[in-house]
Amino acid sequence: MLRDLIEVLISGITNGSVYAIMAAGMTLVYGVTRVFNFAYGSFFTLGGYFAWLFFGLKFNYLLVFVSIIPIMFLVGLSAETFIIRPLRARKDWEILSVMVTLGLALFLDNLYLVIFGPFVKSIPSLFEGYVKIQGFVISIHDIAIVTIAISIMVILMLFLSRSRQGLAMRAVAQDMTGAEIVGIPKDRVFAYTFALSAILVGAGSMLLAPKYFVSPAGGFDILVKSWVITVFGGVGSIRGSLFAAFILGIVEAIVGFTFGLTWTLIAWFVVLLFTLIVRPQGLFGTEA
Amino acid sequence: MKMRKEFIILLIISFFLGIAPIFFHGNLYIMNILTICMIWAVVAASWDLIMGFAGIFSFGQVAFFVSGAYGSVILALNFGLSPWFGILAGGAIASVIGILVCIPCLRLKGAYIALATFAIHMVLEPLIKSKLGIALGTGGALGLLGIPSLKIGGYVFSNMEPVPSFYAAMGIFLVSLLIIYKIIFSGWGLAFIALRDSEVFAKSLGVNDYKYKLLVFGVSAFLTGSVGAFYAHYVQVLSSRMLSFDLFLTLMVMLVLGGIGRFPGAVIGALIATFFIEILRPLETYRGLVFGGTVVLLVIFMPQGIMGILFQDRGLGLVKRIGRFARQKINWASSILLIFLRG
Repeated sequence: MLRDLIEVLISGITNGSVYAIMAAGMTLVYGVTRVFNFAYGSFFTLGGYFAWLFFGLKFNYLLVFVSIIPIMFLVGLSAETFIIRPLRARKDWEILSVMVTLGLALFLDNLYLVIFGPFVKSIPSLFEGYVKIQGFVISIHDIAIVTIAISIMVILMLFLSRSRQGLAMRAVAQDMTGAEIVGIPKDRVFAYTFALSAILVGAGSMLLAPKYFVSPAGGFDILVKSWVITVFGGVGSIRGSLFAAFILGIVEAIVGFTFGLTWTLIAWFVVLLFTLIVRPQGLFGTEA
Repeated sequence: MKMRKEFIILLIISFFLGIAPIFFHGNLYIMNILTICMIWAVVAASWDLIMGFAGIFSFGQVAFFVSGAYGSVILALNFGLSPWFGILAGGAIASVIGILVCIPCLRLKGAYIALATFAIHMVLEPLIKSKLGIALGTGGALGLLGIPSLKIGGYVFSNMEPVPSFYAAMGIFLVSLLIIYKIIFSGWGLAFIALRDSEVFAKSLGVNDYKYKLLVFGVSAFLTGSVGAFYAHYVQVLSSRMLSFDLFLTLMVMLVLGGIGRFPGAVIGALIATFFIEILRPLETYRGLVFGGTVVLLVIFMPQGIMGILFQDRGLGLVKRIGRFARQKINWASSILLIFLRG
């Protein structure tokens, strides 16, 4: 019993750490640009397909990781520049940006279906093999996932608190008008934020793809999960999404183990709804 | 009595829909599309009531539709309830769900509401397929077949009887749209718009936001649920496939195409989008691609929708421009005519 519990906890923490990166990307975009990006899941799948293509070219893991970053950067940048920016001048741009990203998600998911076909693609694991600690079998891949994910989170937090671009993002998130007054180029910050979130989700995709494969419609699940984590942790709060990701990752593992995988999302929504009734702004959110 | 332009547009649409069976009564395919058009028009218009007029990001509309459909069908199959009452019962079930969803949303905003309402959509499918759902009579993953159709006297309103069911659908279409029209141009509608445009200011003037939010969810879910029940009895098969993302997006396209928050816009959007999708059907795999691309282009290049192009808020809409052009030409022609008559 205790043994099962620990194994479930380990798998919850592994998934939770990856969810944390992806939710951080989503919450960043919403916090800074006030756009709810429904194409986020499709960016996730895109990262997975690029990784699959590069592995097909016999790239090694590090090389794939390095070459994914500029690609996702460009994807995020162009999504903001060509699709979101033209709408921003309008009064009802919030609802329009929701619609346009939903349309983009549908477009991209069907594009993958047309290009890559309906079958799942698999990506090799980062490391093969297992370690045994006190009789528990833990795959090295899982340990690598947690390590990489946590280091990405640390880099992200350092970026946001130390670098000029990161500070500009936080300034825009806090007060858009104020940031403009002191001369922060708002449009460029928006575009970079989108690019950063695309990189984060691409990295998450690289980490999760060896476990869950890449399929054209697979991004939808990730979209809903990041969305729940973001709202649960408090929209716009990176720290909130970090805690929320681990809590919900563990909830997922426990519910999946005891009731079956179909119930995990329902359990998440139940947890979420009760949290929102008590705290409408989420765990760490500042505004409802 | 001066008729509003919205009412006139509705009259024109209903007139052309009403005479359509004269030309197409032999064509089962087109009659079926026309009937489905009107069903989606009601769903889109009631969604617009929440999203466009009350300004609440509700993503639960498809869930209301499906729960109304399942509610009515389960009552009809297991308890022998007449489908006519089933339509009301489906609406009532959906509106109870709508109000229940709205309660946690009262204190939420924006993306939070979108997620809380979308949660209902996401939860519904596993629930329908689960053991609990099967115990309630949802038929699980297989769905339900042999649903009784609406009957009155000698008429059967099923998809094999195109003309009577077309007019039955039209009856529901007209009643629902009149209700929505009445709401929009009443104190309720004014309160919705006030809350949408400036919630704090509206509240400070004494608009009870909880009451109006619950009302808009209740009414919108009722209309959607009853149309859902009608749909189920018309098509006679029901499965949880309707909860897939396609329908959700299609409805959204209808809203954007017609114009969000511009009342008969959703109806026009529904009519055009349904036909557009039928035209795209031969494309098969590429359909979603074309559809998604169309949405993106529509939002970027035509954000105010068809209604926005026809009647712009600021400046002149197409209708006024054509009107001015026609008046100029008529003046010009009549002055020439006068010269001729005098000369």
